[in-house]
Amino acid sequence: MTIPISTYLIYLALSIALTVWVARTLHKNGRVFLVDVFHGNEALADSVNHLLVVGFYLINFGYVSLALKLGYVIETAEQSIEALSVKIGMVLLVLGGMHFFNLFVFSRMRRRSNTHQHPPVAPDEFTPIQQAARQEA
Amino acid sequence: MLCITVLYDPDCGLCRRAHEWLAEQAKLIEFNFVPCASEEARRRYPQLNHDLTKQDLTVIGDNGAVYFGPKAWLMVLWALARYRDWSYRLAAPEMLPTTRRVVSLISQNRYQISRATGLSR
Repeated sequence: MTIPISTYLIYLALSIALTVWVARTLHKNGRVFLVDVFHGNEALADSVNHLLVVGFYLINFGYVSLALKLGYVIETAEQSIEALSVKIGMVLLVLGGMHFFNLFVFSRMRRRSNTHQHPPVAPDEFTPIQQAARQEA
Repeated sequence: MLCITVLYDPDCGLCRRAHEWLAEQAKLIEFNFVPCASEEARRRYPQLNHDLTKQDLTVIGDNGAVYFGPKAWLMVLWALARYRDWSYRLAAPEMLPTTRRVVSLISQNRYQISRATGLSR
């Protein structure tokens, strides 16, 4: 196998492995957040979780695929390692950005669903309530 | 909070119209409508100042929390699916004084408004 071909193959293998690892981490740990956001509706949480991971895969594999082209000829193993480090570094940065964006979306959804449970204003006073059932019994 | 009780003025045409409008809205929590200072209201809330409830709309939560006037209107908005976001907007510190002024103005002149718009009996 020539050096350029093996460089591409190593790049693809590493990128795909990293993307799958990050996506699985998100899928596993994001579920708790989503169940909380949807007030214990696990079916809806699982569905949204799955859709988020699909989007994550699409964007990352899209980037990996677009960034495959090197643009110059590599002849030595040294050049191959340098090219790989640049490419993998970019993939890692994109994955990190996507990961933090996902966390941001999760925490925003959670904050939104929590704050809106509370009334907009504080009460003026409290009064005891005579229960209707107790009165009629 | 799962349910709110609205103490409204049964003699005011505007309030009856508001009541009809509320009946058509999608609600996030349950509504009870009780005429203010009525026997039913006194039985339910024996320690409440019922003269105060005649002056302005009053909302009481199922936890006994009492909201008078503008706060009561904000609670009504909060209980409606379409207007919950608006209740937070109108209750924000920069909007609350304006909300209070407008709601008080309408509330204090409700009989005149009802007459002028032909909503009174």
